[in-house]
Amino acid sequence: MTETTEPSEFSNGPVPSDRLPDYRRVELNPVARPFYAYSLAVTGAFWLIVLAAVAWIPRLPFIPFDPGPWSVFAMSAATIWFCLVAWIDARRRGWVVREHDLIYRYGVIWQKTVIVPFARIQHVETASGPIERLFGLLRVKCFTAGGMMADLSVEGLDVRSARRVRQYLLEQIREEGSDSDRTGQAPAGDAQSPDAEESGEHESD
Amino acid sequence: MSPTETQQWQRLAPVALVFLVIDGLQKFIRENLFYFLGAGAGFAFLDWLGPRELFLVVAAILLSFLAWAIIFHRRFRFRLEDDAIRVRRGLFQKRELRVRFARVQNIQLGRPFYFRPFGLVRFSLETPGAAEKEVELPGIPAELAEIMRDRVTGWQAGGMPDDPSTEQEDDSTGSELFHAGSGRLFLHGLSSNQIWVLAGLVGWLIGNFHDRLEDYYREIALVQWLSDAAGPVWLVVAGMIMVGLVILMILSGLFSIVRFHDYRLSDCDDRLVGIGGLLDQREQTVKRDKITGLTLQQSALGRLLGCWYLIVRQTQSGDQELSDAQTRFLVPGLRRQDHGLTASVTPDWITPGLLKPISLHFRRIFWLRWLLVFVLVLVGLAFLFDREHWSLQITAAGMVLWMIGIQLRWRHWGWQADGDCIWVRQGFLGQQLDVFDLTLVQQVRVTRGPYQRRHDLANLQLILPQGAVTIPFVPMDDAAELANRALYAAETAVTHRV
Repeated sequence: MTETTEPSEFSNGPVPSDRLPDYRRVELNPVARPFYAYSLAVTGAFWLIVLAAVAWIPRLPFIPFDPGPWSVFAMSAATIWFCLVAWIDARRRGWVVREHDLIYRYGVIWQKTVIVPFARIQHVETASGPIERLFGLLRVKCFTAGGMMADLSVEGLDVRSARRVRQYLLEQIREEGSDSDRTGQAPAGDAQSPDAEESGEHESD
Repeated sequence: MSPTETQQWQRLAPVALVFLVIDGLQKFIRENLFYFLGAGAGFAFLDWLGPRELFLVVAAILLSFLAWAIIFHRRFRFRLEDDAIRVRRGLFQKRELRVRFARVQNIQLGRPFYFRPFGLVRFSLETPGAAEKEVELPGIPAELAEIMRDRVTGWQAGGMPDDPSTEQEDDSTGSELFHAGSGRLFLHGLSSNQIWVLAGLVGWLIGNFHDRLEDYYREIALVQWLSDAAGPVWLVVAGMIMVGLVILMILSGLFSIVRFHDYRLSDCDDRLVGIGGLLDQREQTVKRDKITGLTLQQSALGRLLGCWYLIVRQTQSGDQELSDAQTRFLVPGLRRQDHGLTASVTPDWITPGLLKPISLHFRRIFWLRWLLVFVLVLVGLAFLFDREHWSLQITAAGMVLWMIGIQLRWRHWGWQADGDCIWVRQGFLGQQLDVFDLTLVQQVRVTRGPYQRRHDLANLQLILPQGAVTIPFVPMDDAAELANRALYAAETAVTHRV
């Protein structure tokens, strides 16, 4: 909406769709190996706790409820199934940084591909929980405009590549910001920093 | 007013107290009404209190609000700077807020009737990302508010504002794009969904009052008398509900006239201005640059009445669902032939003739899935009860309605890409048409379930500053092409980072 180049050099012919870069043709980087172990450990631990609860609760004296031995089998099956899903999910997960955007694919049954142009990222952060740190993993979170659901969290990166990705994204954002500064298109306040999300400056004294 | 005068710290006019008290009371009642009336506890409390105590309680509440308003008013200061506005306020904790004009996406000037004799207005600014109105100055001189408005829009236009006096003139010369007369506004009220909210509220109130009114009913023997005169009781009750609904609809229509009275949408070069309202005339100003999309919407009743409304979309606030609907830029009372308005907002946004439908598989899979669910429920019910049981009939009827619902959903989904401009339609009984530019896409999400993979389909979700737009069940190649185009547009456009 806000493109203003010199009229003489401005052209706006249609770009044939077969000449557009296709996001499907890009090879994705697999997630870091420790993510497999992490994913299995977290899923397995959760379902094993449920399994233990199902197995032990009927033996407690003050609980008259006994679901029978089949429940333990069902829970064991569920544990195996969800671990299997976690394994396949880790195998399918992938991410890649293109020249102008970040692609992230995840999901087993519902397979999702999310693509975020650098020019739209407002800020980037890395985060990790204690278990992730144990496995040497780091998440990269990207925030764009568009409400709560517009936050993208890229999981399965080891600490080094996550830091590199974050650094790269921040540089890209800065570059895009100064680009818009040069053309004078972006309102001054918007392009100043990648953290321009803050609306106004709040100070309290 | 000279520019130097506007640079100093200023206070609100004394009449602003009226607004503060009314506004505060309104919020207090809105937040506490349900607690008070809930489960009839409030009535029991009132009966126990007696009139004199009640009067004292009400007086105490009013006085505390007045005291709050006086302190708030005394502490409130604001100052206009070259490129920003600064506000100091706070009761216990002092807060200072500075909002840069470049961030402002929406300016509102309200003229409540009790401000008019004093030449005052209520001025508010909104920025993207803020949960509520960022800056609200209730009760400042109209002249000052207009200078501020022009300065804010002047800043947004890029660079230092021109002489305020010339800007003020060009505002009045803006060409009128649309005018909604009282008739159209009445229809807008009739068709708007607020009447169902009203009906819910009235139903709930009647439920609460019922115990108290029961004796009264018996005394006047209203239903008995009516059914003697008109027929069976159920008919009378149905008739009364209908009469109630009609009254509600008329009220809703009148409410809409009061709210939007003499609504005008004007085109002032780089901004759009909407003015309307009887008791509280509101003027909303939006910079064209800050418009991220438009939505043409029609409720189910609006369909029968041929009534549409237009919403000017902007970068979503923190919690749009929760935030006050009052701040939305809504153009009421449109007819089908007024759809051309979209093109006067942005020339490329011309309403499309035909939209591409989504895949038939959408209908097939949902029909199949829900048919299975309903059949299982029916079989279960048939085992539990005999075949004549009412629950079976209701479930069967529900099934038919559900299937029709899926058909309606499927039929309404549609999309059209014309250059960088995308139209998406969705609906059930009503319908909604969204238009936006691909350059504003923030993220692209492509999702495929097992069934969609088998049939080479995908759900495409485009995340925009104003929220997400989804096109389900599109052929994978179309989805990928649209995704690639959106990314290309977003990555090559030099757009402000909203």
